[in-house]
Amino acid sequence: MSELERLRQAMRDTERPDASLDLAVVMREGRRLRTRRRVAGAGAATLAAGVAAVVVVVAVGALPGDPPTPERPPPVAVAPPPAGVSPTASTSSEPTPPPTVARDVPPPKPLGQLIDSGVRHGADQRVYYFVGVSVPGEPKVSIGLAAGRRAANGMLTTDLLVNDVDGADRSPGFHQIGYDEGSSTVPVPTFGYFVGPAHRIVGTVGGRQVDARLARWSMDKQVLIFWFDPVELTPGERLDGIIARDASGRRL
Amino acid sequence: MARGDREFVEFARAASARLVHAAFLMTGDHHQAEDAAQTALVRTYASWSRIHDDDAYGYARRTLVNHLVDGWRRPMREYPTDEVPEQRRGDVADEVTTRRWLITILGALSPRERAIVVLRYYFDLPEAQVARELAVSVGTVKSTSSRALEKLRSAGPRTSDEEARR
Repeated sequence: MSELERLRQAMRDTERPDASLDLAVVMREGRRLRTRRRVAGAGAATLAAGVAAVVVVVAVGALPGDPPTPERPPPVAVAPPPAGVSPTASTSSEPTPPPTVARDVPPPKPLGQLIDSGVRHGADQRVYYFVGVSVPGEPKVSIGLAAGRRAANGMLTTDLLVNDVDGADRSPGFHQIGYDEGSSTVPVPTFGYFVGPAHRIVGTVGGRQVDARLARWSMDKQVLIFWFDPVELTPGERLDGIIARDASGRRL
Repeated sequence: MARGDREFVEFARAASARLVHAAFLMTGDHHQAEDAAQTALVRTYASWSRIHDDDAYGYARRTLVNHLVDGWRRPMREYPTDEVPEQRRGDVADEVTTRRWLITILGALSPRERAIVVLRYYFDLPEAQVARELAVSVGTVKSTSSRALEKLRSAGPRTSDEEARR
């Protein structure tokens, strides 16, 4: 047997036919990657439009009080499809386009009023707002919450966008929480939204309780947008827990 | 399950073992190999609707090799594990010796050189295709292959039987 044949033979002899991978995990991660690519495409388009927006995919674990949901993928941001492309075209079986740059694609348009957090980044205001999103196969997910900055001239820069990837975006309770991922030029204070009659949102970190700032969404008063003052909760620091209380102090 | 998903599952089941083994030949580490093969399949699935009618296996293979070659900045570990597969097809000692022999030979090569050897002699791709997939010249493929065979010649016996006969 020649050396080459020995090498080939050795490579085959050491194969393990029983090698198996968890295909459920593969497909779940593949779907997430497909969605991220779409977001990357939209983000590039936004940048090319002259707005320094960074649309970031955010992966957040289930909330401490969430019921266990096996196979639930982490949430990802989904930017609206480019202008001229029907949102309904975003099915899981469509070809995944590579990131593209299109100069005529506008940044995500806020739905309802912007919430001024009171946090400032130089002359920019930290603002939160909902935008329309499209998640393949999830017709009940149509909004995502964005953290952005509004410049003195009114220009809006999107830093971070979070949304549900399954279920319904208006279901009662907490939805996804956006944590700073270090991808923006300025830190993004932790934020999220709760659906229901909450009057107080309290996060726990390192045994310390931190009250969130609150504002109702102008388009749906059941939706309560919350964020944490970056002085009280360092952007990016993961919460150990979060609860909502109603006007009488009862936990929701 | 959608038709495209069913096709992918079928494809992945058929391709997994070879992808994992190719990654093992390039890394010498079973866990790293499984991670790399999984990454290749994730990327393949993400692009499935675009590629499943074409050469899905080739896409997965290229993704795997590029992922490993691009990701490596450290030398291959000499022989990280003596773990024995659960299902044995032959003599355990012989397979472990063969595995060690392979890793010794491949471990002496750079990541890109290992990729060339695996593509050329494990996947049996023509030299021109190996060159295309790795964006190197055919001459590089030829010289690397030759160098690998030279190392093989000087690496000594392969099996425990051969060792015993020395």
